[in-house]
Amino acid sequence: MIQRPWYRRKSSPTNCREVGRVLQHYLDNDMGTEWAARVAEHLEACKDCGMEEETYQKIKLALGRQRPAVHDDAVSRLREFGRSLTDG
Amino acid sequence: MGDLLSDDREQKETFDRYVVPEIEVLHRVARSITRTTTDAEDLVQDTMLRAYRAIARFDGRHPRPWLLTIMRNAQVNRVRRKRPELMRDPDATMARIASQNKDNADPEAQVLDQGYDAAIESALNALPEKFRVVIELVDVHALHYQEAADVLGLPIGTITSRLHRARKRIRKHLEQHGGYINGRPA
Repeated sequence: MIQRPWYRRKSSPTNCREVGRVLQHYLDNDMGTEWAARVAEHLEACKDCGMEEETYQKIKLALGRQRPAVHDDAVSRLREFGRSLTDG
Repeated sequence: MGDLLSDDREQKETFDRYVVPEIEVLHRVARSITRTTTDAEDLVQDTMLRAYRAIARFDGRHPRPWLLTIMRNAQVNRVRRKRPELMRDPDATMARIASQNKDNADPEAQVLDQGYDAAIESALNALPEKFRVVIELVDVHALHYQEAADVLGLPIGTITSRLHRARKRIRKHLEQHGGYINGRPA
């Protein structure tokens, strides 16, 4: 039987300490829906945890903006390379 | 003869269906784990060639993890050929060769928050490379934990642990050097 990770089990986090332990998984949507709902509920009600989540969410979004632009020329050349493989 | 032609056609269809749509992602990931755009392109070509040779054994499930694993193996071989002394620790090697490609930052993002994004970039550059490469794969290139684990050849627990520690380091760096407390200018 596959053991589910502790943050995916049935019981849900109810206090700041427990929410702190799972916050990063919550940010990455790596969590069951019941847990996610309970975390969201706590973040709504608790100013400190809400601020913590906002801080990391902002960092994550800014990191996403660091993504370099697609190199269209390189991708085109690679598609052409793919065609040369399959066309023999 | 007819069977051979049929096999060829089937392999071409499988390649077009599962490999070609992943080229853009493969190129982005390759740019994170090689130093130059030329190396990245070579690595993707190597990955595509290996994938094509193995396509008959691919079952059509989970093409991205399959391709990322091929890319990881291709990269290990490339590094071994170029720098045999680096292969004592493949994990450290993968991290060491990781680099940023920031010469083409998204103009829209620059308008949104230049100051904060510059501080984030600085914090990212200050990370030890084993943390930076995980942040790049998951937060910059939006790979799932398992996909990052596949491309780096690490257990998923190591990926999540490094990711979470790296984000905490970034936050600390922003507070100490960027003047941002809880994401806001102090």
